[in-house]
Amino acid sequence: MPPFSCSTPSNGLHPAKMDSNVVTINVGGQIFQTTKQTLALAGPKSILSAAAKSQLAHLGEHFVDRDPELFSVILSLLRTGNLPSKAKAFDLQDVISESQFYGVESLLVNSVSNPSQFDAFNLQKSLVLPLNGRDAPSAIAATPFGSLHVAHGSKITSFDWSLGRKKTILTQFTAVDSLLPISPAVAAAGATDFSGLQILDLENGAVRETLNWENVTRSGSTVQAIGSSGEHLFVSFESGRRNSNSILVYDLQSLSPVTEIGHNEIFGADLDSAIPATKLKWIPSYNLLMASGSHGGPSGVSGNIRFWDIRTGSIAWEVKDKVDCFSDVAVSDNLSAMFKIGVNSGEVFYMDLRNLDDDKSWVCLGDRRKMLNGKKEGVGCKIESHGSQVFCTKKGDIELWSEVLISSQKKSNDGLGERVFRKNLMGRMKDTGGAKITNLAFGGNKMFVTRKDQQSIEVWQSSVRGF
Amino acid sequence: MGHSGHFAALQSSFLRNFLLGSSVAVILFIAIAIAIAIAEIHNRPGMENGDSNAAAAPAPAPPPPNPDRIKLNVGGKLFETTASTLRSAGPDSLLFALSSRAAQDPDPDPSPIFIDRDPDIFSAILSLLRTDRLPSTALRFSKQDLADEAVYYGVESRLRSAMSPPPLDGIDASVVATVRPASEGLPSALSAHPDGSVWIAHGGQISSYDWNLAHSATVRTHLDDVTSIRRVWPEIAAAGSESAAGLHFYDFSSGLHVGAAHWNDPTDPRIHKAWVTAVADSPGSVYAAFECPHRENCVLEVDKSTLQIVSALGRQPGSSTKHMAPGKLAWLPEMGLLAGSAVTCGAFGYSGYIRLWDPRSGKVAWETNEPGSGRSSRFGDSFADVDADAESSRLFKVCSKSGDLGMADLRKLGDDPWVYLREKNPGMGNTARRGGGTSVVRCYRGQVFVGREGDLEVWSRAAAGGGEGGGGADEGEEMYRRNYVNRAEAEAAAEGEGEERERGVIRRIDGGGNRLFVGRVGVEGVEVWESSRFAVVAPAS
Repeated sequence: MPPFSCSTPSNGLHPAKMDSNVVTINVGGQIFQTTKQTLALAGPKSILSAAAKSQLAHLGEHFVDRDPELFSVILSLLRTGNLPSKAKAFDLQDVISESQFYGVESLLVNSVSNPSQFDAFNLQKSLVLPLNGRDAPSAIAATPFGSLHVAHGSKITSFDWSLGRKKTILTQFTAVDSLLPISPAVAAAGATDFSGLQILDLENGAVRETLNWENVTRSGSTVQAIGSSGEHLFVSFESGRRNSNSILVYDLQSLSPVTEIGHNEIFGADLDSAIPATKLKWIPSYNLLMASGSHGGPSGVSGNIRFWDIRTGSIAWEVKDKVDCFSDVAVSDNLSAMFKIGVNSGEVFYMDLRNLDDDKSWVCLGDRRKMLNGKKEGVGCKIESHGSQVFCTKKGDIELWSEVLISSQKKSNDGLGERVFRKNLMGRMKDTGGAKITNLAFGGNKMFVTRKDQQSIEVWQSSVRGF
Repeated sequence: MGHSGHFAALQSSFLRNFLLGSSVAVILFIAIAIAIAIAEIHNRPGMENGDSNAAAAPAPAPPPPNPDRIKLNVGGKLFETTASTLRSAGPDSLLFALSSRAAQDPDPDPSPIFIDRDPDIFSAILSLLRTDRLPSTALRFSKQDLADEAVYYGVESRLRSAMSPPPLDGIDASVVATVRPASEGLPSALSAHPDGSVWIAHGGQISSYDWNLAHSATVRTHLDDVTSIRRVWPEIAAAGSESAAGLHFYDFSSGLHVGAAHWNDPTDPRIHKAWVTAVADSPGSVYAAFECPHRENCVLEVDKSTLQIVSALGRQPGSSTKHMAPGKLAWLPEMGLLAGSAVTCGAFGYSGYIRLWDPRSGKVAWETNEPGSGRSSRFGDSFADVDADAESSRLFKVCSKSGDLGMADLRKLGDDPWVYLREKNPGMGNTARRGGGTSVVRCYRGQVFVGREGDLEVWSRAAAGGGEGGGGADEGEEMYRRNYVNRAEAEAAAEGEGEERERGVIRRIDGGGNRLFVGRVGVEGVEVWESSRFAVVAPAS
């Protein structure tokens, strides 16, 4: 006889007697038995944990008048955290509605559309979401668990996390240029040709609130960019006469103004201050707000990237870009680096953010001779960071940049080694090319892509179990 | 994918299983009824305090419960099995622990052991333990689900052996899957493992696919074009590129670059920035062929545990075909020799060498150069590719001009050890028509697979007749038969075999876990060939 330990083996196992831990549930005539611990995973609001707690648990059986096959899927989800393969026999919507009945939808979302399942190396173009009407998407925004909001023309269509249900509302905008989800049913929307930021109820299309910047010229104030941190909402406004701009900070819950940073009034020809921020990104680990804007003039494109300290309202660090100015900028918190696409060269550059000093310069990750060409290869390219990767669009293709971590690294004089970034072209051969990519968004285990003049959204996801 | 093909064949056996299952259910029912009856006897109020032996005397004595029988309640469904069935799962498994726990239970009629898992998958796992194969009902579950459940019960190795393909037989194999990396899917190198998993290098990335052929991880290397990889530890890949210097080691669990080996010679400054042309490994060492920009080359032996260079062998100037860097390396375990070969193609045809090194002495044990001297019976028909078969201790080469397969016994190597295998079946067509220029040859499980442009053929040995067995020196020549593994293109297309399969020139073949992995030029992904015991029955249209 082998040595035998009396400690309870791994979870879910309860040997010997049918103790009071075992709960019997009769669902639609079929008997299921499980443990209180398993049912408790359903969360306090679920009817399942209520069944586990009740006194009846070990006396009789609970009867639930629902489909037993679907319940066995839900029970497997509770036991293992994953959808079993038999769930494939059902439509995802059936499983969703059943999970709503038992109050375990969040578990289902966790197993099917979890951001931790996002695997950049394993993303494949898998679905296309068509949009009705005649307008190509102008802005898209995704939530962490993979629901998606798409602005096309004056409409905003919201897809739920399973991408199986949608709802379209009408807005006052002719076209939405910036879109940001605030809560599941609320989003902030703004346009560069429409005054004020609107907080929209995506259920019924109602405007909950309009946020305006009272500028000195008393003209309307258009929205150039929206960003948010966990507690604040950032809006970059420009006055209708385009002679002043500002970034306003609102409380994300109450939407009351908190502070105003980077207020610029333009007198004369001070070009640099005339550039409103067109991209706002909160960098949590630095507690700074990145605001970037660029301006194209006869002498070429110039721009600036500012890192704002919200608490003091001052600029913590600033990068001015004149030679081969950025066409888009992204900051990767995980990599502690900032990336740009040069507007002339079309190449990707990075700047290490692990120590900020004034003589930092961009490191070119491609052909640096192209920096001085006048072809403007980088116009319209987008760059976004998600997780530990950076995604960069060039015409119809997406490049995936990742860092190669080398353990035996040669240290340079500042104590930080040379960093190695490598790119891959995403997708199969048949997926490459195509119309120019206009927007990228990330949510759940998915990447969303929109292309010029195409009334649909491509969904790239890694293969998941279950559905 | 593989299972769906079997389904038609399984339908009849499913019916049988069903009938069998119902009879099992009847037996189970009777057993339960008996158990309940016993329980009732035990629970009779009069019996509770009394001496059970004495009390039982008037009533017919119940049969002693089989101590070997165990009842399990899995998620509300009752299962009854024997301790020996559960013990067959292996001493480390959860089920083994349960069986011993039940044996220690003093209660002669214990209540069922409750396990909070899905009963349907458990019934498949229990069938696996009882019969050593998966029931057809298991087709309802995904391989991933079965694997997860098997890990929970601790029967993963049993599941693996039940789900792994039967021994690969080249004369009866078909494509069961195509493993396609998500991005830049043109394979530049591949390395198969004996458990049926495969690592594929593509576009500077290395993707690993487990024994289920499910994607398990991808590592981006700093190399832009990985041209040779080798799995040197379960989680560590040795990768080399012909466009960047050094042999590099990448750890899959962390995605880290964990080490590198570079060829340097303090006495010769020209030995610098050498790249890797081929990699092989023995149980303790990794062998990599390095080539310098000025074509000088050598094979370095790298210790697997320290990842440091131990020795260099076969250093040569690279100035002529005889001294080129080897493009292929193979370790011959039972002889303790390293085989290397190099081939180049010029205006006057193919030329190259095959060489066997003894790594302990660093000396060349045997070598041949082609085209050799005029004494060779096949002068002018030099080899296009060569591979060593460790199982039968033979070298196989495919001739560049005639396309014939040459065989040499590694134990009897001489000046011209080659025996040429002849095609006797007139219906197979002449190999010479196709030539051997783009051929690749790969030995696996005693068979020789030859990729000839887009076609895959296999040379396999027919069983020797007449009981003579041992045979003379020419026995091998007579016994090898050539067959195509794949079907004719037109026929395959007519039967709509899968999605219209792209047919590129076969560039890479590797075998592992009774699977053959085939990579083609300009085709994304790697084909997986397996043999199957199940016939696919197609309805006549």
